[in-house]
Amino acid sequence: MFRKTVLLGISVASVLAMGSAQAKTIRIAEHRPARIDALKKVVPEIEKKYNVQIEVIEYPAPEKDYLTKLLTELGAGNAPDIFTAPHGSDVADMVAAGYLAPITKELKAWDGYSQLFDVGKVMATSQDGQIYVLPAMLNVQQLYYRRDILEKAGISTEQPRTWAELLDRAKEIKAKTGAYGLLFPAGVTWGDGAFVEGFRLLLVGTSTPQIVTENGKLNLTGQGIKDVFGFYADLINNDLMPIQPLLEPEPWVAPKYEMFPAGKLVVTTGGSWGYIYDWGAQSKNPIPNVTQVVGTWEVPGKTEGQYVLVDLESPWAVNAKSPDVALAKKVMLELGSVNADVAYAQNLGNIPGRVDAAADPDFQKLTELVPILTALKNGTGTHLNTAEGFSAVAEGVARGTEALLRKQTDAAGAQKILVDYVKEVLGGDAVK
Amino acid sequence: MSKSKPAFSAIFDRDVVAYATLSLISIFCLLPFVWLILASFDKNASLFLRWPSPWTLNNYIGIFVREGGARWFFNSFVVVGTATIIVLLLAGLGGYALSRMKVWWKRPFLYTIILVRVVPPPALIVPLYKILLTGNEAVGSFVRSLVSPESVRPAMLVVGLIDGYFGLTLVFAAMQLPLALWIMKTYFDTIPHDYEEAALVDGANLFQRIRLVIAPLALPGLAAAGLFAFISAWGDFLMPLILLSSSELQMLPLGLFRAFLRVQQIDYGFLSALAILYMLPAVIAFGFARRYFVQTFSGGVKA
Amino acid sequence: MTTYDKRSSWQLQLLLLPCLLLIGALVIYPALYSVYLSLTNASLVGVAATHPRFVGPGNYLRLFGDGGFWHSLVVTLWFVLGSAVIGQFLLGLGSALLLRRPLRFKNLINSIILLPNAVPEVVAGYIWISMLAGGEQSTLNRLLGLLGIPSVQWLERFPLVMIIVANTWRGIASAMILMMAGLSAVPPEICEAARIDGASPRQIFRFITLPLIMPTIFLYMLVSTVTTISIFGFIYALTRGGPGNATEIIGIYIYNQSFTAFQLGYGSAVAVVTLVISIAIGLFYVRALKVQV
Repeated sequence: MFRKTVLLGISVASVLAMGSAQAKTIRIAEHRPARIDALKKVVPEIEKKYNVQIEVIEYPAPEKDYLTKLLTELGAGNAPDIFTAPHGSDVADMVAAGYLAPITKELKAWDGYSQLFDVGKVMATSQDGQIYVLPAMLNVQQLYYRRDILEKAGISTEQPRTWAELLDRAKEIKAKTGAYGLLFPAGVTWGDGAFVEGFRLLLVGTSTPQIVTENGKLNLTGQGIKDVFGFYADLINNDLMPIQPLLEPEPWVAPKYEMFPAGKLVVTTGGSWGYIYDWGAQSKNPIPNVTQVVGTWEVPGKTEGQYVLVDLESPWAVNAKSPDVALAKKVMLELGSVNADVAYAQNLGNIPGRVDAAADPDFQKLTELVPILTALKNGTGTHLNTAEGFSAVAEGVARGTEALLRKQTDAAGAQKILVDYVKEVLGGDAVK
Repeated sequence: MSKSKPAFSAIFDRDVVAYATLSLISIFCLLPFVWLILASFDKNASLFLRWPSPWTLNNYIGIFVREGGARWFFNSFVVVGTATIIVLLLAGLGGYALSRMKVWWKRPFLYTIILVRVVPPPALIVPLYKILLTGNEAVGSFVRSLVSPESVRPAMLVVGLIDGYFGLTLVFAAMQLPLALWIMKTYFDTIPHDYEEAALVDGANLFQRIRLVIAPLALPGLAAAGLFAFISAWGDFLMPLILLSSSELQMLPLGLFRAFLRVQQIDYGFLSALAILYMLPAVIAFGFARRYFVQTFSGGVKA
Repeated sequence: MTTYDKRSSWQLQLLLLPCLLLIGALVIYPALYSVYLSLTNASLVGVAATHPRFVGPGNYLRLFGDGGFWHSLVVTLWFVLGSAVIGQFLLGLGSALLLRRPLRFKNLINSIILLPNAVPEVVAGYIWISMLAGGEQSTLNRLLGLLGIPSVQWLERFPLVMIIVANTWRGIASAMILMMAGLSAVPPEICEAARIDGASPRQIFRFITLPLIMPTIFLYMLVSTVTTISIFGFIYALTRGGPGNATEIIGIYIYNQSFTAFQLGYGSAVAVVTLVISIAIGLFYVRALKVQV
């Protein structure tokens, strides 16, 4: 049986293999069709440049399933040569496991290095001073609102200055239009989203904006965290935010792709991708004239300040156990080219991680994104320092906000859920 | 079935109750399919029930034209089909052995293999992956010694234990074997020893006895065991999700899982059409197997 | 034992060898490996990913104080009891009994009941999402709306009951097939004789049919309990354990520990405890139903 299978396999294989050129193969893991399409636009160029064969492997789209498969393979030592960490906050955990090859030397010698945004370089640098990921794209988040609806209802479109102002605005929206006034992602089914698309946007504007201590521990007992949970509790208890959809299996679909375009939700957190992917050219349910109709506010701080949150968007990394680390690094750096950045920006609406992408004629056509890139160049953008254990923090925040959504606890209780969860997962000594 | 003839009204009453109960159960069984079927013909299908407008066949056509539907079907049939054949061979021989032999570890063995299936698959992913990877490296070096370098990858797609037909086939076979062994063992228990003994008197050795006497008698049991194995492996998605990567190897559950989990924008029409096509072989297999089931299980368990 | 028997026994064990190898390598070994993992702090991320430490019974001690684990165990217990032991069994036995009658459309009804069993778990999962999720819009609410019944947020208000109903739907057929087989082994003459002696149908069922199909019931209970405890894909596709952790059956709990919290060691400990509990249940069935294999 076995011999027959082998023989059969070999004969099938040799037929399949005929005509294929002999070149080294680099395997790249990518997920979500929009990202894969963007990657495939630049692959032929890279293949030609380094005489390699690039195999793009489609991974499951939801981040949880993507990570399950990728980490199983990384753990076993069999992962693709190049892959992405979903968020900047996942990098530290992967570095600690020894999965990522350091690229400090190669990155600094790369001709694109000088063009990278400083904020990207800072976030890509690990606590040990080494760089393990390429900050090719940036994820820029703030608040998005329906200008048309606010104007029609005679509600101010001014930038809110404090949390209190923001809440009042949401209450006014609810009272005058009947629509939901504000959405911050929350709950367990949104996965990382409760933290990366919601919680941390508020956290950077509190009295304890950073949660990583100098020695790399996590401080989760600060007043800031409690205040953010308190803000969530206010939104939920005053019925300002749609709760039911957030408890369902795909919590983002109803509010972001249905309620916001329909005007039943007026303000939401969001990223630059909103103009392209959620409601723009790549959307199935686009809002006509999206850049006019949908305006942006920076996220107000609790009592002062305004914040635009910047994070690494799916930064590229090289597998430390790749059979040809050197070649994989060369190929990976090509994924930080202007061409690659623009391809991803076109499909997803994220912001290129390099300054010179602004001058690219194809990027210029993405008029929705140009002002955001310009603003980054001028130094807007706050980021959250990360450390090992951030994936546990994200899950703990999801659990805490879930309890609030279900009205089972208050701000202090939600904070306790977060602290207890992180302690349970990471052990007591990782938490200050 | 009863041969007595109770009063007409009694039959009527009881039959009405029977019809009513069975109708309710049938409605319960059918109701969830209503949305699936309508959505698969709906150009603008949503997750929830609506009357198709406009009706379309494009969802079905798109599976083969826009996506690699034919490939998904082919791969699913190759992997699940081969696994089923392996299960049939091994469970046929093994079930016969278990039925006829008298060793102390027989019962512990039977209980072990059925109880160990209680471990939910997520707990087995990492150990399974590790052992398959070890095997895969052995197979890899064997293949490299046999074929030219450029043929290694295509060859591994077939015989590889990770990201190859062969590995997933073995996993499916191993996962379905315990139940199949139980079915075959209990089935052989119902077949009297007389036939084998007659063959023995005629001087047939063990393998002749199996080929000429046992195998033909075992057919209904094999049909039931094989179809159970086929249906169960056909529906599994976790193992293909973890063990396969290459686009050449994509299978139906992955195509479906992916379509479903394309996070932002799900094409429910496409999804429903694919789900129906995916269900079809299992449904047909079930229809085919139905008449063997009762035959196989009746008197299967000895008190 | 004759020489023939000895040689035959040796040959028979040889026939079983391929099964032993395959099951040993891909079923038993991974289970044993889980036992080993459960004694370490193995993880998928962080330092413990490359340098797991031996922690002895640490994970087990933690597990006994872990409310999430006990909650999950209770959810699993209700899930198994509600869907496998009660729902599927009663509906399956009922269908099997009723279908013994010479009814019209018998084959049609039979096929309809078999249909859900052929549905792959991912498809089943999202068929039921359509039925139950989405508040007023859900398919079930729209259908009930046609009858004038007000809508209910099914998954939100009755999560556990709903996954029991959905899983019952999936499994009626397997219970029915086994029960039909068991019933077909009951000789009609005995029932007939009892009837002539004046036994009521209920008495016939209670004192004749039921004892005779007890071994079948045992097999059904054993297999369905085991397979229901190990369910993962269906509930993962349907609720992912939510809302909250209301439907976090043990398979989902293990998945969350191993792949959301990335704690392989702890997840494995949960799996091992599940295995031990199921062995206890298996022994209980054997004793309670007094059957032998």
